[in-house]
Amino acid sequence: MVARFFRSRGARKFMANRLAVAAFLVIAGYLLVAGLVWFTGIITLEETLGRIGASYQPGLWGAQRSGKRIEDATFWFEVAQNAADRGDFETARGGVAFYERRLTGELDADEIKARVARGIALAKEVLVVEGFDESASVLPKVDEIDAIVVELFPHPEGWDAFMYGARHVLGTDRQGRSISFRAIYSIKVAVQVGVVTALFAVLFGSFVGAAAAFFGGWIDHAVIWLYSTFSSIPYLVLLSVLVYMFNDTSVDKTLIPLYVAFGLTFWVGPCRVIRGETLKIKELEYIQAATAIGFSRTYILIKHVIPNTAHLMFINASLLFIGAIKGEVILSFLGLGVKSGPSWGIMISQSKAEVVSGFFWQIGTATVLMFVLVLAFNILSDALQDAFDPKHV
Amino acid sequence: MWVYILRRILYNIPVYLGILLLVMLALRTKDPVWAFLGKRKSVADHDALEHKLGLDRAFAVQYVLFVGDVVTLSFDQESWGQPGKTANELLGDAIVPSLVITAPALLLSSLISICVGLISSFYRGRTPDRVLVILAVLGMSISFLVYIILGQYFGAFILNDKVGHRIFAVEGYPDSLTPFTWWTYCMLPVAISVIVTMGYDTRFYRAVMVEEGTRDYITTARAKGASKSKIMFVHMLKNAMIPIITRVMITLPFLIGGSILLEMYFGIPGMGRRLILAIRDNDFPVIQAFTAVFAGLYIITNILTDVLYALVDPRVRLS
Amino acid sequence: MSDPATAPALLEVRDLVKHFPVRGGILNRVVSRVHAVNGVTFDVRKGEILGVVGESGCGKSTLGKTVIRLLEPTDGQIRYEGKPLHELGHRDMMPFRRKMQIIFQDPYSSLNPRLTVRKMLREGIRFHGSVPEAEIDDYIVELIRQVGLRKDAADRFPHEFSGGQRQRIGIARALALKPEFIVADEPVSALDVSIQAQILNLLLDLKENLDLTILFISHDLKVIEHFCDRVLVMYLGHIVEELSCDALHEEAVHPYTKALLGANPINDPDDRRELEVLEGDVPSPFDPPPGCPFAGRCPLVEDRCRQEMPPLVDRKTAGHRVACWAVEE
Repeated sequence: MVARFFRSRGARKFMANRLAVAAFLVIAGYLLVAGLVWFTGIITLEETLGRIGASYQPGLWGAQRSGKRIEDATFWFEVAQNAADRGDFETARGGVAFYERRLTGELDADEIKARVARGIALAKEVLVVEGFDESASVLPKVDEIDAIVVELFPHPEGWDAFMYGARHVLGTDRQGRSISFRAIYSIKVAVQVGVVTALFAVLFGSFVGAAAAFFGGWIDHAVIWLYSTFSSIPYLVLLSVLVYMFNDTSVDKTLIPLYVAFGLTFWVGPCRVIRGETLKIKELEYIQAATAIGFSRTYILIKHVIPNTAHLMFINASLLFIGAIKGEVILSFLGLGVKSGPSWGIMISQSKAEVVSGFFWQIGTATVLMFVLVLAFNILSDALQDAFDPKHV
Repeated sequence: MWVYILRRILYNIPVYLGILLLVMLALRTKDPVWAFLGKRKSVADHDALEHKLGLDRAFAVQYVLFVGDVVTLSFDQESWGQPGKTANELLGDAIVPSLVITAPALLLSSLISICVGLISSFYRGRTPDRVLVILAVLGMSISFLVYIILGQYFGAFILNDKVGHRIFAVEGYPDSLTPFTWWTYCMLPVAISVIVTMGYDTRFYRAVMVEEGTRDYITTARAKGASKSKIMFVHMLKNAMIPIITRVMITLPFLIGGSILLEMYFGIPGMGRRLILAIRDNDFPVIQAFTAVFAGLYIITNILTDVLYALVDPRVRLS
Repeated sequence: MSDPATAPALLEVRDLVKHFPVRGGILNRVVSRVHAVNGVTFDVRKGEILGVVGESGCGKSTLGKTVIRLLEPTDGQIRYEGKPLHELGHRDMMPFRRKMQIIFQDPYSSLNPRLTVRKMLREGIRFHGSVPEAEIDDYIVELIRQVGLRKDAADRFPHEFSGGQRQRIGIARALALKPEFIVADEPVSALDVSIQAQILNLLLDLKENLDLTILFISHDLKVIEHFCDRVLVMYLGHIVEELSCDALHEEAVHPYTKALLGANPINDPDDRRELEVLEGDVPSPFDPPPGCPFAGRCPLVEDRCRQEMPPLVDRKTAGHRVACWAVEE
C-alpha cells in the first residue's frame, strides 16, 4: 500500500520538490525527539523544573559583564555557605547538587567558609569601591572570584561535562532552569498537542463531513446545523467561558481544557472541506459503478469515497497541527493551556520581563524551535497542496 | 432583497439565543458565587450575594431576564471585581479603547494586504512574488506573542532610547485621546496587529487575484496594451471584490476580540482586557455581560456579511 | 445462439417513469421536477443489441441507469427474466446485480484513481464469489486479455492509461461478474473516432463469445445503425419510434427519426437529398406541455398533436412501433 502511494502522480511530484522533502525530514526529526522524550525519558519533567544554576545565564557561555558574574558568584557562595553552616555537613554536602555540578568533596566545612568569605570580600570591593565595570583593576578581582567558585563547585568531567554543557548551552531562565532542556521538552508537549488535536479534528470532522455529503438527507442537515452553530460562537467567547469553567477545577492542571477548546473548534474546517469534496466525488461514475456491483452505501463511503479525499485530510491535518501549536501559545497565556511543566507558550509569555533587560535566550530559543517546526509544516502543507490539489495556486 | 435580509436576521436570532443559552449554562457549571468569594466566606455571605444578583431564581427566569438586558443593553448589575461600577459602565468605558485599536488595524491591514496580494499575483512566479510569498510564510511561522514582545522591545524601548525621546509608549493608554496621543499609545499595537495578519491575508488575496488573473479578459487587456496598474487596480480588483469582501468581513470578528493579547500586553483598557481581568477575578456579572455582547457583535457581523454579499453578488439574492 | 427476432424477452419495461425533484425555497421543498423518463415501455430480447438513440437531455442515460436500478424508478415496472426488479430489496437485488452490469461514458471518471486494475476487478469478484479465490488472479489476467490489453496492465493505475484503454478496463469490469445483460451508456462517445471502431468491434466480439444482451445508448445514429439489431428513438423522455436497424432508412416514419437520419452526412457527393432542418425549440423538461413533446418542431404538426400525447402503436411490420398522430394508417 505504501509502495502504491509512492507511485501515484502526486507523490512523485511531491518528492521532486526538494524543499518539501527537507521540510518533511525536519518534521520527522522533531517527531523523533518528541518520541524519545516521551518514551525513553531522556529529558524528564523534573529536569525541566529543576534548578541548574544561577538565573539568567546567557547561552553559549557568552561573556558576561562583571556585574552579572559577581551576581552569579554570589548565588554559588550562598549555596556553599548554607551547606557549610549546617551541622550535618557531610549530608548537606551530598544534597547540594545542581545536576552535574556538585559541591566539592575536597574541602571541609571550614575551608569552604573561608573561601566564601574571601569571595564575598572581593565582591564587596568591586561593588563598593570600584563599581561594576570591565576596567583593568576590576577584572582580575572578578576572575579571582570566579576561580573560587570553580574551586567550590568544580566543573564536571567526561560524560558529565557533556551533559552539563547540554543543559547550559542555551542559558537559564529566571529560576535558574535549563532553557535548552525546557525547550526540548516543549517539543514533546507541542507534538503531543498538535498530534492529538489534528488527529481528532481531522478524523472526526472528515468522517462526519463525508457521511453528511454522501448520505444526504437529515444527516446532512444535522451536520450543517452543527458546524454552523459551532462556527457562530466567537472563538473568544468560547475560550473565555472555558477558562472560567475550568478554573480551579480538578482538570485544571491537565491538558484537558486545551483539548476541549481545540476539539470544539478545529473539527469544523476539515468537515467543510471533506464534505465539499465528497459532494463532488459522489457524482463520479466509478461510484455509480460500485453501486451497480451491489456494494452497500456505507461500504462505498469507506472504501471508495474517503480514500479519495485522503490528500485533503493530510493537508488539513498539517494546517491544524500548526494551528494547535500556535494556539497553545495563546491559550497558555490566557490560562487555558499547559499548566505543569514547560511549553513554548509558557516560555514565551514568561520571557516578557527578561526581554526588557536584554535577555533574549528564553524567547529566542522557544521562538526558533517553534518557528522551524511551523515553517516546516507550512512548507509541507504547501507542497502537499501543490502535489495533490489541482486547484491550488 | 429585503426578504433576503429579513431571512438572514430571522435565521440568526435563534442562533444567538441558543448561544446565549449555552453560555449562560456553561458559566453556571460551577457556583459563581463561591468561585468569587473563595472558600473562606460563610454561607450567609454566599446567599446574600446570590440573591442580590438574582442567581437564586430559576434558570428560565434568569435567562429571560438576561435576554431582556441584552436587548436593551442595560447590564445594571454591579461588577464584583470593580464595585461601584455597573457592568454597563465598564462596557461603555471599554468600547472606545478597543475600537481605537481594531478599526485602524482592520483598515490598514486590508489595504496593505490587498495591494501586496495584487502585486504578488501580477508578478506571479517572478522575483517580487517569490520574495513576498517567502516573507509571508516566514512571518506566519512566528507566534503572535513573539511579535508583541519583540515589538514592544524594539519598537518602543530601544527606539525611544536611540532617538532620545518617546516615539511610542511601551504600554499604557492616554486619558484623553488626541491624534498625537493616539500615535504614541496606539500606533505600535496597531502596527504589530497589521504585521501579524499580513502573512495570512496576503496569501489569500494573492490566491484570489491569481485566479482572476488567469481569466481571459485579463489576457485581452494585456494584449490591448493596458498599463499594469490599470489592469491590476481597475480590472482585477473590481472582479475580485466578492471574495475580498467576504474575507474582510470574516476577519472583523477576530478584531473584536482578537486584540485581547494586544490589550493585555499594552495595557489598553479595552473589552478583551476587561473580560480577561473579570475572569481572573471571577467577576460573574461582567463575564456574562461581556460574552453576551461579544457574541452579539459577532452575529451582527455575520448578518452584515450576508447582506453585503447579497448586494455585491446578485446570484445570492435570487437564491 | 437464439435468434434475437424470436427470442424471449430478457428485460421487460412497462410504463417506466423517472423524475428528479428540484429543491428550492426556504424550507428546501420540492419546487419542480425534471421529467427525465416519462412512461416508457419496451422489451429487450435475449441475445439482441437494442439501441437507444436521442439527443442530449432526452433521457436515454437515465433510462439505462434506471433499468438496472442504479437510479430508483419513480413509477413503472421492470421485469428481468420475469422477476419484478422494481419491488426487490437491497439483498434480493444482489443476484440480479451480478447479471446486469453497466459500461460508462467518461473514461476519466469511471475508474477509481486509487485502485490498480487488479484491485478494482478483484473487489467485485470476491464480493459476488463469481470465481473461487485461488483462481481469481488467473481469471483477471484472462479478463484483461479478453479486452485487448496486455497482462501487465493489471498492476497499473488508471492514470497510466489512455482514454481508449480505460474504456477497455471499464468493459473488463463490467464483464468480471459474468453478466448476462449489459447497459452500455455511450461507451464510445468520449473517444476518438479511430478508437471508437476498435472498441465497438471488441464489444461485438465479446457479445458473441459471451452470449450477452446489450442495451446500447448513443446519440450517434450511425454508430447505432452499424452496431445494433433494433433501435428505440427517444425524445424528451418518450419513445417515439421503435424499429429494426436493417430497415431503418426504408421504414422510419416518425418525423423526428427522419430528421435524425437526414442529419447524417452521406458519403455520396452525387446524392443531393434535401436536408430536413428542424425549426422551433425543445420544450423544457421541467414543465412539459401536454401533447406530443415534438409538436414544437414537427413539420407535420396538427392541432391534435399539441393537445394529446400520441400512443406508441404497432405498425404493419412486426417489431415496428410509432407514436405519432400524423402517420396513422
